[in-house]
Amino acid sequence: MIILVILLPLIAGILVPLLPFKKRSHWEIFLECAVVLNSILVWYLLLHHSDSAFVLAHFTGNLNISFRVDGMSMVFAGLVSALWPFATLYAFEYMTKEEHEKIFFLFYTMTYGVTLGIALAANLLTMYFFYELLTLVTVPLVMHTLTREAILASRKYLYYSLGGAAFAFLGLIMIIVYGSTNNFIFGGVLDPAKIGDKTNILLLIYVIAFMGFGVKAAVCPFNSWLPQAGVAPTPVTALLHAVAVVKSGAFAIIRLTYYSFGTDFLQGTWAQTTVMIIVMFTIVYGCSRAVKETHLKRRLAYSTISNLSYILFGAVIMTPLGLAGALSHLVIHAVMKISSFFCAGAIIHQTGKNYVHELDGMGYKMPCIFGVFTISAFALMGVPGLAGFISKWNLASAAVESGNTIAYFGIACLLVSALLTAIYMLSIVVRAFFPGKDFDYSALDGVKDPNWKMLVPLFVFTFFIILFGVYSQPLMDFLYDVAAGLY
Amino acid sequence: MYLILLSIFFPIFAGVCLFIKRENAGRRNLLITVGVCLTLTGLLVVSALFTAYGVDFTLFHLTRSLPICFKIDAVSVVFAAMTMIIFLCAGFFSFEYMKHETKEKRYYGYYLIVFGVLNGLCFAGNLITFYLFFEILTLSSMPLVLHNGSREAIMAGLKYLFYSLCGAYAALFGLYFIYHYGDSLTFTAGGVLNSASAAGHTGLLLIAAFVMILGFSVKAGMFPMHAWLPTAHPVAPAPASAVLSAVIVKAGILAVVRLVYYIFGASFLRGTWVQTAWLTLALITVFMGSMLAYREKVLKKRLAYSTVSQLSYILFGLALMDADSVTGSLLHVLAHGFIKSTLFLCAGAIIYTTGKTRVDELRGIGKEMPLTMWCYTIVSLGLIGIPPTGGFISKWYLASGSLKSAIPVFSWLGPVILLVSALLTAGYLLPLTIQGFFPGADYDYEHFRKQEPSRLMTIPLLILTILSVLIGLFPTPLIDSLTGIISAIL
Amino acid sequence: MDFIRNFPCISIMLCLFAGIISSGLRGRTARWINIALLLIVTFLSACTLFYTLSTGESFVYVMGKFPAPWGNEIRAGVLEAGMALFFCIIMLLSLLGGQHKLVKEVEENKVFLYYVLTNLLLSSLLALVYTNDMFTAYVFVEINTISACGLIMIRQVGRTIEAAVRYMIMSLLGSGLLLLGLCMLYDLTGHLLMSNMKESIAAIVAQGEYNIPLIVSIALMTVGLCIKSALFPFHAWLPDAYGYSTVSSAAILSSLVSKGYIFLLIKIIYRVIGFDIFINTRIIDVLFVFGLMGMIFGSLSAIWENDIRRMIAYSSVAQIGYIYMGFGMGTQYGMVASVFHMLSHAATKSLLFIAAIGLTDVSGGSRKFIELTGSAYRNKWAGVTFTVGSLSMVGIPLFSGFISKLLFAQAAVQINGKMLPALIVLGVSTILNAIYFMKTVIRIYTPVEATAYPSVTFKDMKLYAVVLVLFIVLNIILGINSQPIVDMIEQGLAMFA
Repeated sequence: MIILVILLPLIAGILVPLLPFKKRSHWEIFLECAVVLNSILVWYLLLHHSDSAFVLAHFTGNLNISFRVDGMSMVFAGLVSALWPFATLYAFEYMTKEEHEKIFFLFYTMTYGVTLGIALAANLLTMYFFYELLTLVTVPLVMHTLTREAILASRKYLYYSLGGAAFAFLGLIMIIVYGSTNNFIFGGVLDPAKIGDKTNILLLIYVIAFMGFGVKAAVCPFNSWLPQAGVAPTPVTALLHAVAVVKSGAFAIIRLTYYSFGTDFLQGTWAQTTVMIIVMFTIVYGCSRAVKETHLKRRLAYSTISNLSYILFGAVIMTPLGLAGALSHLVIHAVMKISSFFCAGAIIHQTGKNYVHELDGMGYKMPCIFGVFTISAFALMGVPGLAGFISKWNLASAAVESGNTIAYFGIACLLVSALLTAIYMLSIVVRAFFPGKDFDYSALDGVKDPNWKMLVPLFVFTFFIILFGVYSQPLMDFLYDVAAGLY
Repeated sequence: MYLILLSIFFPIFAGVCLFIKRENAGRRNLLITVGVCLTLTGLLVVSALFTAYGVDFTLFHLTRSLPICFKIDAVSVVFAAMTMIIFLCAGFFSFEYMKHETKEKRYYGYYLIVFGVLNGLCFAGNLITFYLFFEILTLSSMPLVLHNGSREAIMAGLKYLFYSLCGAYAALFGLYFIYHYGDSLTFTAGGVLNSASAAGHTGLLLIAAFVMILGFSVKAGMFPMHAWLPTAHPVAPAPASAVLSAVIVKAGILAVVRLVYYIFGASFLRGTWVQTAWLTLALITVFMGSMLAYREKVLKKRLAYSTVSQLSYILFGLALMDADSVTGSLLHVLAHGFIKSTLFLCAGAIIYTTGKTRVDELRGIGKEMPLTMWCYTIVSLGLIGIPPTGGFISKWYLASGSLKSAIPVFSWLGPVILLVSALLTAGYLLPLTIQGFFPGADYDYEHFRKQEPSRLMTIPLLILTILSVLIGLFPTPLIDSLTGIISAIL
Repeated sequence: MDFIRNFPCISIMLCLFAGIISSGLRGRTARWINIALLLIVTFLSACTLFYTLSTGESFVYVMGKFPAPWGNEIRAGVLEAGMALFFCIIMLLSLLGGQHKLVKEVEENKVFLYYVLTNLLLSSLLALVYTNDMFTAYVFVEINTISACGLIMIRQVGRTIEAAVRYMIMSLLGSGLLLLGLCMLYDLTGHLLMSNMKESIAAIVAQGEYNIPLIVSIALMTVGLCIKSALFPFHAWLPDAYGYSTVSSAAILSSLVSKGYIFLLIKIIYRVIGFDIFINTRIIDVLFVFGLMGMIFGSLSAIWENDIRRMIAYSSVAQIGYIYMGFGMGTQYGMVASVFHMLSHAATKSLLFIAAIGLTDVSGGSRKFIELTGSAYRNKWAGVTFTVGSLSMVGIPLFSGFISKLLFAQAAVQINGKMLPALIVLGVSTILNAIYFMKTVIRIYTPVEATAYPSVTFKDMKLYAVVLVLFIVLNIILGINSQPIVDMIEQGLAMFA
């Protein structure tokens, strides 16, 4: 069953260019069905999971490729499988203007399976394997347009990701050598008897591995691939570079911190301080770059950088509450950012405009898109009543509760970043709705909202932004249970 | 309970509906709709205040520990009543005024929304609800600032937005700490801090308190975060400036009242460095605002600087944490609300009829628009603090509270600065009256013509003027009820 | 079953005879003989491997009637047999894969010579692997050198001759140093058989005498073999030799010849000097440092390279660096990792050379990257294979490179002083590998609009495609099913001691 949900998208993806579909709509239906079916299977699996691991293959000795559903996997797999069908639907419409769609959907769908592989991995080795695989299947997506810029971006993406994995690999080695097992066990697997006097080296390797996985999560100074990778078609930037890929980095770091090294080992050490400072710096840095950036998608990408570090900030607080905060932002940011990216994509799709200063007055021409965009902007800023507030609240209260002085400064960083978020998001909103009194609306003739395939996903995401904002209790209860290691 | 919700959400809903409505419905229909909505909201607020006083209920929970709840207590009554009156007056005033502006539909839409949000602020039962409405207030009032769509207005709107958000986030910073070290976030007279869990973290909490006070005071234009106010208020349409300067800034005051007296508790802050720093900043602002107003030539900007100064009177009174001074502050909230809205509406009437904005262009204006200028003069006297107007009573209480309080230096420095500032106030408000009524021998009477604005403008002016005088003439019932509040919170 | 003990000797002899016979035949026949020989030797080695595995110990085969310490001996254990088997397989695949190029690049009347040389090369490799006698080893080192020179030179282009001369000079320098060291050692111990030398050396060390001569001789032999196996900084001969010779030669040289010398070094370390004594000489520290430098500088040179064949050649320098780093760790784990990497690198590097030739063939024979754009679409099999090889080099799980990386890192973690440098260089070198291999992969998968070059399909190159698939399978077997192989290596090393 577990292996099925990973393989199904891979196979469905490969079949798209292979099967002789007569019309575009045929393979669209085929693919959408496959993705929806897979999502249903995933949800079924998550709700009826067993605790035992499914071992696929033995590598060497006690190293094996195996899968298991635990709390963290439920969060990430659930999130990914909920978003994917909508993103696919959106992509169908978006990709009508691009070439080689079939190849695109091949890799796009395969990525689904690989991401699930990361989510469902039962040990560090399996996760590492899918993590590398994720890099490889997403490179063609970044490269899709085949412009010089795209090729440079995909190269950079590849080097950064593989390089990061190379250092994350050191963490894997440490766990294999000094851990009692490399399975994910809440609370860590390090064996105190084996550590001996090597504490400092282990901490150093933790920091290195953190930065290694952090490359995917766009931790400063390894973040420059993300804005560049924005040359990819928007469904990719939205789903992969705001959710699946970058969140895999954050997910891997959480696995590394909570399930491998263990918080007991790390808490209060210089390693925690180091990574926390790096993360805090990234929070502010990402936002400031976003304010400076005038390219819409790149601006959102910088915003993602900052928001990913919110998640990591929660994670490195290293308390159950911190983890809960991180997880809630993991889920909520996914919904918010995918929504704003889809708006950006819709704008590009409908008008071909890429820069912020070209968006003047469009709010009246595309009310649905900009309405949704405004809501997601408010949510990202953390206006109460919308989802962003809840996750930031969880993060900040975890920081207060931890009693860690650096974490207090982290709260300040969160708020500075919220202010910067307001600046870079609202300046777009204000432009779109209040273009100034001399604005000539005739320049925007013919601009209108896109069709239902694009709007439906957007409305669904907006609904969830509001829902999580006003009624997040069941979700939060679940996340708190996960963070307490109950699942 | 339903009245409270209705008084908050009805205007918001009405405002949103206005946007959706088709463009070509005609101005008359629009005005009728808005008028009905405003009146209805006013009635709702009044009936809520009378029937639902003391009602306390939770609407829903954001998360388990974050309830959204509403409550009407004495402080709510003071602020809600003032909001309601000024909003109605300014609203009817704008029916006439907005003739020479564009995009009225949008203006009224946001106007109604802001009205509802302000009601929400007044009725908020805990800090999180308050914070929610505080942020929405910023977001929804920004379009009022940048309404006329000039580049200057848009920049001013953004400046307002970012300063306010900055303040809100600073407040949020402290909020996280209160959440952790307090029993709950519900407004409770005397504070909610849990002495057991707060023990040992006093320093941290004081920092949090200071940051929060600073943050909320951004909205009230306290130094050093006052710069947005003189930029943002003058560019808005005059009735919007009136509500901005008279009511919306009071949201900052309300926030500080709630924070200091209902969350931290006066006893926690009294005598700490936070109080000293706060007093210092407030006094600096009082003096600086007056000075800047004195130097300013553009009438609406001058009034905006005056707001900066006057609001810090209120903050000063609150910072003293003395029964008399707080009474004075709350009185000044009302007095300043009525006075400043009148002043801005006068300025609006002048601009509407003559198109002139600078003080030195307005010689002889008293001859042209006597009624408007009489209103202006009366409330000016009130703001300066000449008996028997409202301003006198409030300043009296402020000064006596300051002298009574045992805080070294500030107990005498405060009244001195208040006095100096009052002189400056006279210096920047009265020249217009003098020039207006006594234009001098060389005034050109040939072009003179009477151009009093229509009744839609003058009647709101008169109402507000009369109210400001009434406060001064019959303060006793007010003071009695305020004493009730103050004895509970101090 | 005891007749299996004859197999090592038989395979060496067969190779020699095949070489002699081929010299009188035409190219085509020589080729068939060569293939048959390789298949037979593969079979014989496999038998030997199973025999040693089943008995669980190594055996000594006395050549002629003279007993030790005078006679000549062959010794076969799990490691030796396994290595021989592996060498045969790789050689077979490399020859088959490069067959079509061979026909084009070598003059018709010299083809038979090529097979003579490969037969000789195989015999010398097998001898290096099996022999228990230092002098025999030296002799076959020389045979090896000469036949390798021939393999380079047989494609008669200006650059190959230059390369061959360069190779010859460096190699002879290496053998010279080896010979010097060997002489000194003989002087010290009075023996040439490995087992006897080891006993004498143990005795000498126990007495604490002749410390300096011993170290000098060890150093001389090590440096000699390092030069021959192109450890950084003695790698200058390598890029030309691998880059310009015909592709089978490049594959064989890079994956087998250098490995033969390294294997000899392992034997010297374990069988002659003794592992503990070798470690105590601190020569390992030097090897460690040069290994690390090789990993970095080899990769850097590869990044700057603009020629796909030379790039792969430089990558060999880096990979040899890995192997010596494993030696330099001075632990059993490091040794195991190095030996595994010998296998994994041999399999991957020959695969890369063979796949690269398929790509350059569909790009008008040009090896410049700019011409290779989109070549993976023109030759799909080679494209996929090259990608697999690259991924293996970068260390993606499922492929053999990942396991070597894993073993190296695990070995590195268990020694205190060298852990951090080893781990960090491992990480950095992975990134560098990723840079140049992935750059190439992206390049060959970037479509070009109209191209002058034709595409090839499966029908045009059946043999080539099958070889490529076999290479991939081999690589994946090493990657997935590594545990038995690692166990075998451990067992083999245990038999050495």
